[in-house]
Amino acid sequence: MSDLSHDEMKMRVWRVCRVLAFITAFEITAALLYYYGVLPFSKIWLDILYAILSVLKAYYIMSEFMHLKYELKPMTITILTPFLFLVWGIIAFIWEGSYWLSARELWNSHF
Amino acid sequence: METTTATTNAKELWSGGDSPFRVSYGKVMIWYFLISDTFTFAGLLISYGAIRASHLPHQDNNPLSWPNPNDVFKAIPFIHAEIPLAYVTFMTFTLIFSSVTMVRAVQEGHAMNRKGVEKWLFFTILGGLTFVGSQAFEWSHLILERGMTLHGNPFGAASFGQLFFLITGFHGLHVSVGVGMNTWALTQTAKGEFDRRGHYEMIEKLGLYWHFVDLVWVFVFLVFYLL
Repeated sequence: MSDLSHDEMKMRVWRVCRVLAFITAFEITAALLYYYGVLPFSKIWLDILYAILSVLKAYYIMSEFMHLKYELKPMTITILTPFLFLVWGIIAFIWEGSYWLSARELWNSHF
Repeated sequence: METTTATTNAKELWSGGDSPFRVSYGKVMIWYFLISDTFTFAGLLISYGAIRASHLPHQDNNPLSWPNPNDVFKAIPFIHAEIPLAYVTFMTFTLIFSSVTMVRAVQEGHAMNRKGVEKWLFFTILGGLTFVGSQAFEWSHLILERGMTLHGNPFGAASFGQLFFLITGFHGLHVSVGVGMNTWALTQTAKGEFDRRGHYEMIEKLGLYWHFVDLVWVFVFLVFYLL
């Protein structure tokens, strides 16, 4: 448990709420600016930014809302380490998917 | 600070008779359930990644390319204007806000304040219902008015619709289950069940589940609406 008082915890929650709302508003604004052609750079940079911001939001939700920051460290480690498999999963399957695309294009170019 | 306590008391912690994580059995188990549920959702989202990578990026009038979310999601209920991503912004804010009200319910539970728990749980349920209702609007709009089905859609690759209905449907099911369990907890709170038990741990466990639903939405929102 945390050693913060009831009122401090209350304030903390609303602060996290503001952070999450701000990040979401920022993402939407960026998406709309890109859609209407205001942003000159390639979409891939925006995608990387969205991914980082989503992980940031996940961090805030897990650490503050789900209280993981205030649990004992062994418990946090037990919960977070299985997610390392997902890093492999995301890389491996997106790689595989782009291989399907190039295999299909190769096939189509021959027949 | 917590870490030093954990190391100095390690022997004491593992000598039995106490929870090693200083957390109740029920809370550890709901965490383990959430980890397994994360892998279910991750399986679905990673399939999305693989299938999307096997399609061409968006091209106008190419039915095999991946749809542009800004073209798909622009309807708003009761208003005839079309603004890309406006309504899903509202849905996302609803879910964030209902997560906050849930934290407040848990905090009031710690303070053993029954009226506070009732009030904040009520707002959480309201937020959940608003979200599920919004999803029902979005689905019916896409199916009936835009013609997006499991067989195809006017925006691009058919897989987009299939994955959209599968993943947002599975997420919506989680929200609905959460709303049901929160409603049950509200009636139990009103009956004074948790005051009799002497603790509001049930609200904490439901809170963990509810935040998890919000957490998953962050990534569903990322892949379908932003990327």
